[in-house]
Amino acid sequence: FAGLADVSISEDIPVEGEITVPVGSHSPDEDFSTLDEPVRDTILRDLKAVGKKFVHVMYPKKSSALLRDWDLWGPLVLCVSLALMLQGGSADSKDDGGPQFAEVFVVIWFGAVVITLNSKLLGGTISFFQSLCVLGYCVLPLTVAMLVCRLVLLAGAGTVSFIVRLIVVVAMFGWSTLASTAFLADSQPPNRKALVVYPIFLFYFVISWMILTFTPQ
Amino acid sequence: RHPLATFFHLFFRVSAIITYLLCDWFSNSFVACFVTILLLLSFDFWSVKNVTGRLLVGLRWWNQIDEDGKSHWVFEAKRVPTIAASTEAEARIFWLGLIICPVIWTVFLFSTLFSLKLKWLALVIAGISLQTANLYGYIHCKLGRQKSTSRVTS
Repeated sequence: FAGLADVSISEDIPVEGEITVPVGSHSPDEDFSTLDEPVRDTILRDLKAVGKKFVHVMYPKKSSALLRDWDLWGPLVLCVSLALMLQGGSADSKDDGGPQFAEVFVVIWFGAVVITLNSKLLGGTISFFQSLCVLGYCVLPLTVAMLVCRLVLLAGAGTVSFIVRLIVVVAMFGWSTLASTAFLADSQPPNRKALVVYPIFLFYFVISWMILTFTPQ
Repeated sequence: RHPLATFFHLFFRVSAIITYLLCDWFSNSFVACFVTILLLLSFDFWSVKNVTGRLLVGLRWWNQIDEDGKSHWVFEAKRVPTIAASTEAEARIFWLGLIICPVIWTVFLFSTLFSLKLKWLALVIAGISLQTANLYGYIHCKLGRQKSTSRVTS
């Protein structure tokens, strides 16, 4: 390449070229790299996101992970496990507590939808699915409480076990409510915070009530 | 070219429908059937949205939240679609599976309402919403691509 060392462009040659702007939606190159990624990467990426959110619920600081990349897998898993643990516990269960199972589902999802609509009507800036995501993930402490209650009930159903269950459920209820209000109350104007926190309080109260009044047959 | 993706595209949807129809044969337990069908529907939603759409027809849609908290729905289409005989067949299977299954779940909705087996109602509504969401998302992607090519050629 010795001959290239003394190549130079004299200044009176115009430099010209063509600038083309692609028409239509311009997607950055990173999108096309995930458009062709192998399936295992997609699965692992989503699983890691779900796991991170569970950790964020246990330590509720004001991080944006729960809010920015919402997903509804965590709420689905929590809802199913809570409904599974809560069935077979009421007086009129005939075959296998089928209606009670569907009831828990309906209470959780319908309740979450109503709270989201309420906060949107009060002028909140959070989007519908973000709010569902936060409310769903914050059911995690109550699911843990349910697990503990079932284990305590295996040991016996007397007054002591009731007191233990009461303490556990109240503690987890407080944790759930605090975690969800930490994420949701920020998106409201300051004079409306109580109006938004109250339905969330009620929602987790109903779930805690279902957990506390559960008695196995 | 993507036989595994085509298989999974149809597998979860058709298994959910078959399990719903034959749940009395498989097990006596309402809860087991409910959870199985719900999990099949969720896996189907995820795989159609994230995997089979981009592999079979090169379309994708998602929701993204930017810094000031506003949510945008993004519909994306592969710029240069390859037209080969196998991709035509795969695309046809994709769209047929995408359209026929929500229709079947709507039929189930009416049969549940009229036979008053209301404990299945939550499941049928979940099935309809998940499958219709994918259908709507992909139709939006496809229409978006046609709109942009017509702008180029006009």
